[in-house]
Amino acid sequence: MNRVKVLQAWLWCVSLWSCWLSHAIPLDCKDETGSLIQCTSISQEKLLDRVIQHAELIYRVSEESCTLFEDMFVPYPLHALRNQGGTVWHTKPFPIPGSKTEIQQISDKWLLHSVLMLVQSWMEPLIYLQTTLNRYDDAPDALLNKTKWVSDKLLSLEQGVVVLIRKMLDEGILTPSVFEHTLTPYDEPSPEVLESILRDYNLLICFKKDAHKMETFLKLLKCRQSNKLSCLSY
Amino acid sequence: MAYSLSLGLLYLGLLCGNGLVSARSELFTPDPSRGPHFTGCRSREQETFRCWWSAGIFQNLTEPGALRVFYQTKNFLSEWQECPDYTRTVKNECYFNKTFTQIWTSYCIQLRSVRENITYDEACFTVENIVHPDPPIGLNWTLLNVSRSGLHFDVLVRWAPPPSADVQMGWMSLVYQVQYRVRNNSHWEMLDLESGTQQSIYGLHTDKEYEVRVRCKMSAFDNFGEFSDSIIVHVAQIPSKESTFPTTLVLIFGVIGVVILLVLLIFSQQQRLMVIFLPPIPAPKIKGIDPELLKNGKLDQLNSLLSSQDMYKPDFYHEDPWVEFIQLDLDDPAEKNESSDTQHLLGVSRSGSSHVLNFKSDDDSGRASCYDPEIPNPEDLASLLPGHSGRGDNHPLVSRSSSSIPDLGVQQTSEVEETPIQTQPAVPSWVNMDFYAQVSDFTPAGGVVLSPGQLNSCPEKKKEEENEKKIQFQLVSDGAYTSENTARQLSASVPPSPGPEQGYQTFPTQAVEGNLWNGEYLVSTSDSQTPYLLPEAPPAPILPPVSDYTVVQEVDAQHSLLLNPPSSQPAICPHSPNKHLPAMPTMPMGYLTPDLLGNLTP
Repeated sequence: MNRVKVLQAWLWCVSLWSCWLSHAIPLDCKDETGSLIQCTSISQEKLLDRVIQHAELIYRVSEESCTLFEDMFVPYPLHALRNQGGTVWHTKPFPIPGSKTEIQQISDKWLLHSVLMLVQSWMEPLIYLQTTLNRYDDAPDALLNKTKWVSDKLLSLEQGVVVLIRKMLDEGILTPSVFEHTLTPYDEPSPEVLESILRDYNLLICFKKDAHKMETFLKLLKCRQSNKLSCLSY
Repeated sequence: MAYSLSLGLLYLGLLCGNGLVSARSELFTPDPSRGPHFTGCRSREQETFRCWWSAGIFQNLTEPGALRVFYQTKNFLSEWQECPDYTRTVKNECYFNKTFTQIWTSYCIQLRSVRENITYDEACFTVENIVHPDPPIGLNWTLLNVSRSGLHFDVLVRWAPPPSADVQMGWMSLVYQVQYRVRNNSHWEMLDLESGTQQSIYGLHTDKEYEVRVRCKMSAFDNFGEFSDSIIVHVAQIPSKESTFPTTLVLIFGVIGVVILLVLLIFSQQQRLMVIFLPPIPAPKIKGIDPELLKNGKLDQLNSLLSSQDMYKPDFYHEDPWVEFIQLDLDDPAEKNESSDTQHLLGVSRSGSSHVLNFKSDDDSGRASCYDPEIPNPEDLASLLPGHSGRGDNHPLVSRSSSSIPDLGVQQTSEVEETPIQTQPAVPSWVNMDFYAQVSDFTPAGGVVLSPGQLNSCPEKKKEEENEKKIQFQLVSDGAYTSENTARQLSASVPPSPGPEQGYQTFPTQAVEGNLWNGEYLVSTSDSQTPYLLPEAPPAPILPPVSDYTVVQEVDAQHSLLLNPPSSQPAICPHSPNKHLPAMPTMPMGYLTPDLLGNLTP
């Protein structure tokens, strides 16, 4: 009897906890004074526009950061690495298709989830990048600022995508990233300067690529929302 | 492990990358000095791409099939695959269609000679990095506005994105660049990147032909596409004479009209304008006195008129700043009553202090002009006044007739107390002093000895005032005249005191030959404050009656007066000052012009 009761209580707690978690979307709305108020609702279309704006900005800033870093630290012959798109430095749980036809066939749900996954996968590496950039002696302030800015924007982008998912797909999602990324290359600092430079360069290149992916997916999503016909593959 | 492997591949790719990927932009011109190599890869719409190669110097490999292209996508380290499509129409081209094109993946291509199993060239890239969009289409322009001068205009240029680029889906985000130049010029003006599909161009010149073109690239990438076809922008210069014509006409006519008006105005109002711009020098005149009367009137009338002038106003004295500096010691009423000026002049008085006027020497400019040392001796004139011994025999005028004029002013010692106006009643001997005194004799020193006037009821007023004397002497000598105001100011500081007698003495000339006088006059004020030096009435009643006045014959070179022999004249109280003086506290101020004086008849 006691065991049953304990079990019931535990289940109840768990259910409550999961229920709470499912509703615990950490979107605190604050007004000017800083107190929590009920979030004002926003239309889905507007939210999507804003999310796309975020993604565009992040993409542009990532490109600028890459250029800044390249001009500052990367020796000229190695600039070609940029064209090569960088090397894959971590594996993704699911591959993202690269052809237009394939992408056009991706469902909305998948698009949103992959965007979310991308955003979440880059949060830690960018924080890491900030620390490594601070280690350079003459890192330009613009680069540091941009990196910091991108980190902040990624957070808000993540929040926006979560809300979108909730609205468009009617599903709640837990904010902790479900995807486990490998950080081994970045756990230990590299002793060699060139190697660390190349690593950071690679990181920036790959981030730019992924930002492009985010932007493309979101735009495709928008196209589908507004005009279903023209965005489908033909 | 995976990381080190990837890094190794990175280095490998670096080593293998030459020609194609060392530079961002692809090369299309084959390098004939090299062996077989890739000349470039391009994608137009990020969905397909093509690669070209050249055999180079190895001419034996030019036949098709000798060189083959293999590619490999780097995603999963797949094996090398051969080019999916060798374009039949174009030589040495490999075409990757949609199914084989993936973005966000790295491609590596190799140029191999299969027969020899030699890899001549290799290149790695991602498709989005080789995208060169097609040129925009539909470039046109509309006129925004033309400047007011008609020399400049602004246009709005519009275009459409290339049809091959799927902008709507967001597959490609394009930015555009507009360039323009004057036709046949060599230099293109470049405008900033524009993400929209229109742009304004400002500041173009009319009557010049402009070429405008536009190209685009993917945002965040560096590869511009080809330029669109140029369009010609031309705006003919509007003959804007119509707009400026009336303006200039109006302006011209307006100016002409104004000029005419001005001329008419000037001519019509010539007299008044002359008066305004060239005011006539005022003829000397005594206020309230008809010049005609002066010309034709009798002397006694003139005297009465002159004495009735209410020109001595204390206010004037107060107003004039320089007069303020003239301070007379009025604090010795006893001394006032002691003696009159005439008495002093006549040398009756005692104390030998050089007093007279205790005007503090100051630098008042108003006085300075009157105290021109060049002015020949007021003392000469002063010497004409024998009886005018203010107090003490140190009357400067009399006693120091030879001294310089500045002495008069400067040497006023502190001990000097003013010689105020003597109130006559206190001094019986002077009470009936004549208003006028006749110059009876000249001292060898040049002083003037006045004969005592007849006793009459005319009150005298003696004032010693060297400043004024100086002024007046100056006036005499110079031929200048003092204005009414100045004369008023001379006596301005004199407060009206009851019973102060104002002596007023002039040197009326019976017959002035020439301009003996330029209207000078000697003014005496009534009060002690304003030291006035006046020719005083002759002092002692005991003296035989003499003429009250005499005619000044002429002023000689030393500016001394030459008088006619005294003619017996009745003692005239010229203006019955008893009557008049109480009425008017101040002396008549004014001056006589020589011609006026000349008309005076005794």
